[in-house]
Amino acid sequence: MITTGRRKSIAFYIAFGIGLISVILVLYIGWIQLNWRHGVLLVLGILLLLIIISGVILNTISLVREINRNEQKDAFINAVTHELKTPVASIRLYLETLQTRAVDEEKRKEFYRIMLEDSDRLLATIEQVLRTGRMGAASRGLNLARIDLSGLVEECVARARAIHRIAPESLTFHPGAPVSIMADLEEVRAAVSNLIENAVKYSGKDVNVRVETEQIDGYVLMRVKDAGVGIPKTELKRVFKRFHRVPGPLASRVKGTGLGLFIVRSVAKRHGGRAWAESEGSGYGSTFFLQLPVAK
Amino acid sequence: MNQILVVEDEQHIADGLRFNLEAEGYQVHVVETGEAALELLQAPESPIDVVVLDVMLPGKDGFAVMSELRQGGQFVPTLMLTARGHPEDILKGFAAGADDYLAKPFELAILLARLRGLLRRRDWLRTSLNHSVAKPEPTDTFTFGDKSVHFDLLELHVRDKVFPLTLMEANLLRYLIQHEGRPISRKAMLEEVWGLHEDTDTRAIDNFIVRLRRYIEDEPVRPRHLLTIRGVGYRFVAAPAAK
Repeated sequence: MITTGRRKSIAFYIAFGIGLISVILVLYIGWIQLNWRHGVLLVLGILLLLIIISGVILNTISLVREINRNEQKDAFINAVTHELKTPVASIRLYLETLQTRAVDEEKRKEFYRIMLEDSDRLLATIEQVLRTGRMGAASRGLNLARIDLSGLVEECVARARAIHRIAPESLTFHPGAPVSIMADLEEVRAAVSNLIENAVKYSGKDVNVRVETEQIDGYVLMRVKDAGVGIPKTELKRVFKRFHRVPGPLASRVKGTGLGLFIVRSVAKRHGGRAWAESEGSGYGSTFFLQLPVAK
Repeated sequence: MNQILVVEDEQHIADGLRFNLEAEGYQVHVVETGEAALELLQAPESPIDVVVLDVMLPGKDGFAVMSELRQGGQFVPTLMLTARGHPEDILKGFAAGADDYLAKPFELAILLARLRGLLRRRDWLRTSLNHSVAKPEPTDTFTFGDKSVHFDLLELHVRDKVFPLTLMEANLLRYLIQHEGRPISRKAMLEEVWGLHEDTDTRAIDNFIVRLRRYIEDEPVRPRHLLTIRGVGYRFVAAPAAK
């Protein structure tokens, strides 16, 4: 799906280039044929020149954009390669260790735990990538059912506490009145847990995350507030773009594929809601919002 | 006991490597960042015998760490370990100064064998170096012109001035003096003086030569003792012809 999109845009630029060249040709032929009619020539010349110049500018802008997108895609492939290969390397290392060495009972149990964590990490990356593929088809039917959002959030919070071994007071949940939404359970679960995972991931060592749900008019709003690294104002919208990761040293310190928030935003849109972020800037923490319509 | 430094930020892999390397009888140090690795390896008299260096590190990446080490004259045998197994990544690793390169996921037995290989090569070169460099030397002082090198004191005396030499500078000078009059390639110097082989950035040698010239040449820009042989390396001349 991604490849055909790229090919289409390349084809467009080739066609555009050919178009521009033919304009130049028309200009030349016009020059020869209309040489005797000076007034018409001047007007036509200026007109064609303006077309060429604006065309070239447009072309350059689009090309730069395309190159940027390619770079982002390369960074994404690197990140996914790393996220897929690292857990496999780890599992393999421990399996080989167990196979070739005498390992006492306690160590053996620890190794099993590590391998389980690695397989979870591997599965999470695979699901993220597969889900992004499905997000591309916007019209694809959702598997709608009536769900209690607070219950779902509660479940995701409990799961995050267990996986990252976080004390309940460091990751708190404050549910509003119970509300049901009509939604695809798997998709909303992915969006909710992505938001919670991110808040934990970007908090560093001192996790302090507050998750809330609240009903406002016809919508239910989920708020995830962390005291982590924060987001520069210019990046608040961009973080939801596919493959986008905030540039700088942080991207290499906290590993990720750049898909999580794209999934959150896509899920929100597909359910008639929206997702956005607020932050006072780097170092001031950030708050993420997921707003979904209440079931009628 | 050989000491291994593992530079790896993925805790699971670092722990797994530590367990296996300790089982093989190595003393293992683990650091999570390139900066910490540089600090440990650039310290004088670093005890590390061999390094396992991951590429994707927070902050400075493995390639940057590798080239910084080599440029600073730290030639400890290093195996780079990374998820990126593309040929261009491997070439980049070697260009930065790695001795060996392994893509993740790796086979444990192969990793261990390669580390043993790096240590063995280092030991062999060390032995051959002791034979070739240390033996034919009757006294630990060499005098040329109004300069004298005191290898035992790591000092260079030029008229009434005394310059302290580092061990590597002294070893390089000794090697050049022993081959007086003959051109010596950069590669030979790396192999014989530093005990390194292949793929190391030979430009590091040039920095040493620049420093030595500052000591032993009256005019470092117009060297008379330590001559550049274009395309080959260097030649030491104890008694240059009169100007």
